[in-house]
Amino acid sequence: MVEAFAVASGKGGTGKTTSTVALGMALADRYDVTVVDADTGMANLLFHAGLADVETTLHDVLVEGGVPVAEATYDRFGMSVVPCGTSLAAFEAAEPDRLREVVAELAADTDVLLLDSPATLNSKSAVLPIVLADRVVVVLNPTVPAVSDGLKVQEYALSYGSDIAGTIFNRARGDIEDITAKADRYFEGPTLATVPESDAVQAARSEGVPLFAHAPDCPAADAFRTAAERLSPNDGDADAVAERFRTAVIPDPP
Amino acid sequence: MIPEGELLRSRVLTDLSPALSDVLDRRLDGYALLASRHSLLGDGDERGVITFEAGVPALAYHAGTDRGGPPALSDLGPPPYQFELYALEADALEFPHRADELRVRPGAVAERLADDPALADRTREAAGEAVGRGREDSIEAFLENEAAIEDIRQSAREEALDRATEWGFADAVGE
Repeated sequence: MVEAFAVASGKGGTGKTTSTVALGMALADRYDVTVVDADTGMANLLFHAGLADVETTLHDVLVEGGVPVAEATYDRFGMSVVPCGTSLAAFEAAEPDRLREVVAELAADTDVLLLDSPATLNSKSAVLPIVLADRVVVVLNPTVPAVSDGLKVQEYALSYGSDIAGTIFNRARGDIEDITAKADRYFEGPTLATVPESDAVQAARSEGVPLFAHAPDCPAADAFRTAAERLSPNDGDADAVAERFRTAVIPDPP
Repeated sequence: MIPEGELLRSRVLTDLSPALSDVLDRRLDGYALLASRHSLLGDGDERGVITFEAGVPALAYHAGTDRGGPPALSDLGPPPYQFELYALEADALEFPHRADELRVRPGAVAERLADDPALADRTREAAGEAVGRGREDSIEAFLENEAAIEDIRQSAREEALDRATEWGFADAVGE
């Protein structure tokens, strides 16, 4: 069984990668989880997952004649993690369109795929993870730019046939129930969780480990656990899903 | 003055345009540390900082000369730069952004450090849009404005459909 989620936000700095890793670790209790850094242009999953020193990354898979994705897949924190590197040359040589094939291959062998998506809608490669995903988790902050850009992500996803799994309000200060209730009217899917602003998130980042490894019982980790429970990944036939990734949205050959 | 953010990127750049353009597209809140050529050659700490509000450059400060605003951009000199980009929540930048003497105009960095008038125009446009859509408004007031939100959603849908053909996603539309 497999379901692919894109974790996305319209703007940078909302805590999207923190959310991706936290959801992955929460889901890893019950599912076989693979997390992919689908932000080939501004990789930072590696910093969150203690993989800053690895040599082989998704970039090496996405080049012509690249290495098999298994060589860029690392077992960390109970998940399979596929990071991107930070080298400009590697990024420029990579062909993001090959992500489709990589996702298809990974889908054949996991329960839940989480695609950490670029915080922009400005290019085909940035939008591709949203198109490939079954459902999209929209990460928001309770601010006007974050919510308005999150709405754009939602409309792109819906336009391209992907569903919305729900929203995560990250970095909440105090009670923001009024805000989430009002926002709920405009977003498909439920509010999965409101994650309180937390010093533990910053401390985990400085330490180069995920929040769940640094402070598994802090309120922010609890909130991500709630979000993961509400995601309820669907059972799906892995072969069928893999085939869909390979064929979906590929235009007919000329 | 500025708390440590999350490192997103660190590399030597001979042209700042693509990096600034990417920051703008991502509407990133955060800051960049730029070390000039002198510093790259080991000639002391000549680093400057440029902060971004939703991708738009907001302030500039040069540590070597202790000057802020447009003079700090001059102090950085021409590329190449060691460029480190950090994400930081907008709230953490609110206090430094009150320092008017450090402020730069939205298009100034693209014009002066990247020599890219088109990017400067696009940055100014984004800054204008941010004001136009009421960035000063509270999130509660924004969420009450159903017409404005419907406009955002409708424009995004139209944009997505327009680009579907260009990007080869046409088959996904209407699935």
